[in-house]
Amino acid sequence: MEFKSCIHGENIVKKYKNFELNVPVVDIPQGFATALIGENGAGKSTLLDILAGIKLDYKGNLKFFDKFDDHDREVNPEVKNRIGYEGTGNYYLPSWTIKQGREIQSLLFDNFDEKKYIDICNKLEVPADDGKKISDLSDGNNMKLKLAGVFARKTDVLLLDEPASPLDPLMRDKLCEMIRSYLLLDEGNKSVLFSTHNIADMEAVTDYAIIVENGNVVESGFSEELKEKYTVVKGDKKDEEAASKVLYTITSNNFGFEGMALTKDLEALKGLDVVTEMPTLSQVCVAVMKHNSKLYTGSIL
Amino acid sequence: MIISQSSGVPIYQQIADSFRTDILEGRLKEGEYLPSIRGLAKELKISVITTMKAYELLEEEGMVTAVQGKGYTVNAQDGEMLKEQHMRKVEDGLMQAIASARIAGLSEKELIETLELLLSLKEN
Repeated sequence: MEFKSCIHGENIVKKYKNFELNVPVVDIPQGFATALIGENGAGKSTLLDILAGIKLDYKGNLKFFDKFDDHDREVNPEVKNRIGYEGTGNYYLPSWTIKQGREIQSLLFDNFDEKKYIDICNKLEVPADDGKKISDLSDGNNMKLKLAGVFARKTDVLLLDEPASPLDPLMRDKLCEMIRSYLLLDEGNKSVLFSTHNIADMEAVTDYAIIVENGNVVESGFSEELKEKYTVVKGDKKDEEAASKVLYTITSNNFGFEGMALTKDLEALKGLDVVTEMPTLSQVCVAVMKHNSKLYTGSIL
Repeated sequence: MIISQSSGVPIYQQIADSFRTDILEGRLKEGEYLPSIRGLAKELKISVITTMKAYELLEEEGMVTAVQGKGYTVNAQDGEMLKEQHMRKVEDGLMQAIASARIAGLSEKELIETLELLLSLKEN
């Protein structure tokens, strides 16, 4: 499916001592929620930080809203203000109180809507105006505060690093609702990119998925397209060997096998006694990660 | 609109089915707008792309037309198309009956006799 890019990246390279992020091309579609998925250490946060401008020592070209480059993002407040970022790091000083956190965000961002911030905090049951230190908050409440901060700004794209991780199931559901409401604010012109390894919890809000493994983008596409590109295949022991030659991933058990095939390869399974199903996005992600992972694929214990 | 996560029918298909029924049965009339894509996604707690796919499917079927920047409007339903839609339902139902008859070991003759019997019962 064709789409407009809200952020477009080319030849992005960032080298560390034992790790290299290398992304020839990446697009964040405009008007949708995009999930950045991958194992721990796959490069999700690095990519997100590069797009957000948190990390600046990378090679490559970025284009925002179809006309601004990464230099504009740094010097042009009009571009910077349109991008909201929430990171996993602590960007409040340890000594700051909740009240100071609010005041500083208000000073820092021209488009910070203080009333909206207080309203979101109230609805999420976190104090917006308290003398308590931010560093004393639980991980969950800390995230709620960060989310309130980023959603209270008038932006056109949100970059959220692992927003669901510290949240309980009810709050994750709320987060999904907040993302949907944000996308609805200006139908087709707002975009969200979030990283997650809880894809099952975020599946119902994921429009586009980018899967990162070992510093490379190994798969990307609209969720509905990915669910058609891959097919779950299950069968009995007798067909396992024949099927294993065709399947993209396969897991064997005592009674039979289960795996993922590329839908275009299904023809080759003709004649075998197998059951096929449309996968969930989580199943697609696990299969793609498994296919590209260095992790031991057998039973661990 | 009721969306089931575990019915085995893809969600976009369920949404399209629901609107198609509303259009064919006259609850949604010519020229009316479908809910906005992102609005419906929010209401149904599903992704934007799923809603979009449902609307694109309805557009392919000629049920609705995309209006640039405004959403999707319901098309006039001509008699021929209505008949075709209903025909499809009839075929689906009969296919199911054939499949069940195979499992039950019914002959073709027996199946046709059953259909004739049911028709005569209905007429009386």
